[in-house]
Amino acid sequence: MTISPERRSEVTDLINAYALAIDDGELERWPGFFAADCVYKIVSKENFDSGLPLALLLCDSQGMLADRMEAFSKLNVFGPRSWRHMLGAVHATGSEDEISARTNFVIFETLAGKDTHILCAGEYRDVIVSEKDALKFRERLCVYDTTMIPNSIVRPI
Amino acid sequence: MSEASLTWPDGNDRVPYWIYTDQGNYERELEKIFYGPVWNYVGLECEIPNAGDFKRTQIGDQSIIVVRDQDGGVNALVNRCAHRGVKICEQDKGSFAEIMCPYHQWTYDLKGDLLGVPFNRGVKGKGGMPEDFSMAENGLDKLKVHVRNGGIFATMSDETPSFEEYMGQPILGYYDREFDGRTLKLLGHSRQRIGANWKLMLENIKDTHHASLLHVFFVTFGLFRVDNDSTVEMDDTGLHTALSSIRGKQELNDGTAQMRSFDSDLKLSDPNLLDVVREFPGDRTVVMQTIWPNVILQQQSNTLATRQIVPKGPNACELHWTFFGYEDDDEEMTARRLRQANLMGPSGLVSIDDGQILERTQEGILAHPDAEGVVELGGRDTDDTDHMVTEVALRAFYKGYRNVMGL
Repeated sequence: MTISPERRSEVTDLINAYALAIDDGELERWPGFFAADCVYKIVSKENFDSGLPLALLLCDSQGMLADRMEAFSKLNVFGPRSWRHMLGAVHATGSEDEISARTNFVIFETLAGKDTHILCAGEYRDVIVSEKDALKFRERLCVYDTTMIPNSIVRPI
Repeated sequence: MSEASLTWPDGNDRVPYWIYTDQGNYERELEKIFYGPVWNYVGLECEIPNAGDFKRTQIGDQSIIVVRDQDGGVNALVNRCAHRGVKICEQDKGSFAEIMCPYHQWTYDLKGDLLGVPFNRGVKGKGGMPEDFSMAENGLDKLKVHVRNGGIFATMSDETPSFEEYMGQPILGYYDREFDGRTLKLLGHSRQRIGANWKLMLENIKDTHHASLLHVFFVTFGLFRVDNDSTVEMDDTGLHTALSSIRGKQELNDGTAQMRSFDSDLKLSDPNLLDVVREFPGDRTVVMQTIWPNVILQQQSNTLATRQIVPKGPNACELHWTFFGYEDDDEEMTARRLRQANLMGPSGLVSIDDGQILERTQEGILAHPDAEGVVELGGRDTDDTDHMVTEVALRAFYKGYRNVMGL
């Protein structure tokens, strides 16, 4: 099985566009990056390596993504901040229609009036599929290495 | 920061801010509280099911190894080699047959007793330890351990009363409700660092009415709200608290009408999140306990967790969450617990608000050690209540704290 250069380029575009949408604060676009049938999880490397199922954040339907987006946008209480996703090179394997991709990330967080800090570092482990001629995440597993989260993660990563 | 007076105002309905910011007070807390006659929570048995399994944790500033030995017993050992003070164990968890310091290979058994010292008898007749060197007196420092229905507690003091006496009623009864003797099943951990004094974290759970104002999610879906049928109960010292409540409806009433954060129109797109089933005897849907000095026991709907509070100087603490279920949970129940875990933790639909607001509290008080907080809601007394429109658990807590600290 091979993946065409065009497909590889589309996969990278998807992963970049996702990060930009979040850094730009366009959370209403977030559920749209996922397939109709989808799973999004933020999982600590500690739990991932031990085979423990707990996620820091778990959405296993489009509805749950929408509810989270609503909570992050309107319900939760937190101060103003900027985020910058720094992405590593995308390592894609699989077939033209179902791609597995691994991408390292670091997120820098800057709170109003404070120093910039690293919120978390880790890797995306994605399963990407083609749905209605567009690539979507069927699974997006965010495995973070960070031992202590500095306070809270107040947006999707 | 200006020098604080370090005296307590009259009564328990005022709390001076220096107790959250003063380094000297923090150091006295370590001695009198964490290293004193208390039972510190250090973990769950399901984290170390087999002989040799260990986890690393912390009591006050000290690193502690919690390990199961070949006899099935649980030991809590200070993570410091008896030889030269090296922190022996670096891993957060794992399994070992014996405990060996990498520096000079002093080796201990799983109960912390010294087994071997290299070159003990010298080499080619030269060197070695003195003949009267006592292996028995050079083990790892050991803590006293108490295990109750899967929860592990440890103490450094010989003065600590029995666990049952320490907990008292009705707290022990509530403990046994969640830790009812069934084997626990570990679901996972979350860890976060919060720039707030450790006591603010305990207060956050004792402060019953903030949930009705700060947490839109709780308020709207009635999971924890002042108009719910509730109780606030303390032990005799006032240091432990149990809050219990019955989930309310998403309706407008004289309670919800006063909450700006109440939204009668909010609907979940996927109601699976709140697909709650009753699993405990009685009609309580939430019981939150604060066990002095370092753990919150959470039962909110079907999400169960311990939240261990690790102080990090006066101005910060860590919160180590351990989510669990029971060995006899079916797949559906485990899935439900994992979904409801979205409410809690460092990205919790509810808990995010707490982490943020506690840090803002610390920032607000940092430059004002001599100012005082007001805790008069529900009166000035420290008696149990049958409602949560009160700060009584905070007053009782500080009555107990003053006793312990001699303030």
